[in-house]
Amino acid sequence: MKAEYVNPVFKAVTEVFKAMLDIEVSRGTMGAIAGGKQEVDIQINVIGDVAGSILFQFPQDTTLNIVQIMSGMEIKELDSFVTSAMGEISNIISGNAASYLAKTNYHCDIMPPKIAVTNAAVAPQFAQETLNIPLHTNIGDMNIYISLNEMK
Amino acid sequence: MLWKEKYKIGIPTIDQQHEELFSRVADFVQAIRQDGRWEEKIEKVKETMVFLQEYVVTHFNYEEKYQQTLGYPDFEEHHAIHEAFKADIQSMAQEFAAAGYHEEAVQKLAGRLLAWLINHVVASDQKMAQYVTEQGLERI
Repeated sequence: MKAEYVNPVFKAVTEVFKAMLDIEVSRGTMGAIAGGKQEVDIQINVIGDVAGSILFQFPQDTTLNIVQIMSGMEIKELDSFVTSAMGEISNIISGNAASYLAKTNYHCDIMPPKIAVTNAAVAPQFAQETLNIPLHTNIGDMNIYISLNEMK
Repeated sequence: MLWKEKYKIGIPTIDQQHEELFSRVADFVQAIRQDGRWEEKIEKVKETMVFLQEYVVTHFNYEEKYQQTLGYPDFEEHHAIHEAFKADIQSMAQEFAAAGYHEEAVQKLAGRLLAWLINHVVASDQKMAQYVTEQGLERI
């Protein structure tokens, strides 16, 4: 997959986490991500000059920590409030990534987030080539899967 | 406390309005997430939906007028974000009323609202403040 599609996503994640949460994001290591049995999966489909999907996998502990920072309240479970907040963060990240792509003349739109709570971290089965970016922060790890192809 | 000093963009009137917005959203989130019967929380939901529809419009109008005074180059983009948010809140208020203020739908709105508000202040509005600083314009 072209670096032109991957770099905007990584840039958007690091900037959004820094601005919204004051959290630094770095590349993590491949393999299972720790942080709780359940996880929040958020898939954002992309259409336009570049099309496909971006999948965000947030383990339970990472998710609870993020929403706790944002709300200033103790957050104990992955309920609708929590998953919806994570959906919006993923939406913001993907929107920013789409803006960065537009600057390199790839114009695309993002679709509303599809949110699911799953019991185990499973790699997605996208039809197209998929790149996994494991990410690390001091409040927990997360995974992003990028499956984007040029349609021009 | 939801509001953080770092959210200040250095434009006093807008900072005051943001602080009020955060305070009301914090009250709303706390009210719907505390223990108790959902039926008892519905009044707070209705009150917040009315507040959002009124105060958000006032705040957005102020910001947009200010941006026009500045000749802010990203005015159209910022205006489009405001319009999309207003339309979202309006349609959700109608949906809630029609569906009897269902708890899950309201919790979803609250989560989304929280993330949206923080991002809007730390990203879009900070960008406007940066423009004010770069151009040496008046902060009112």
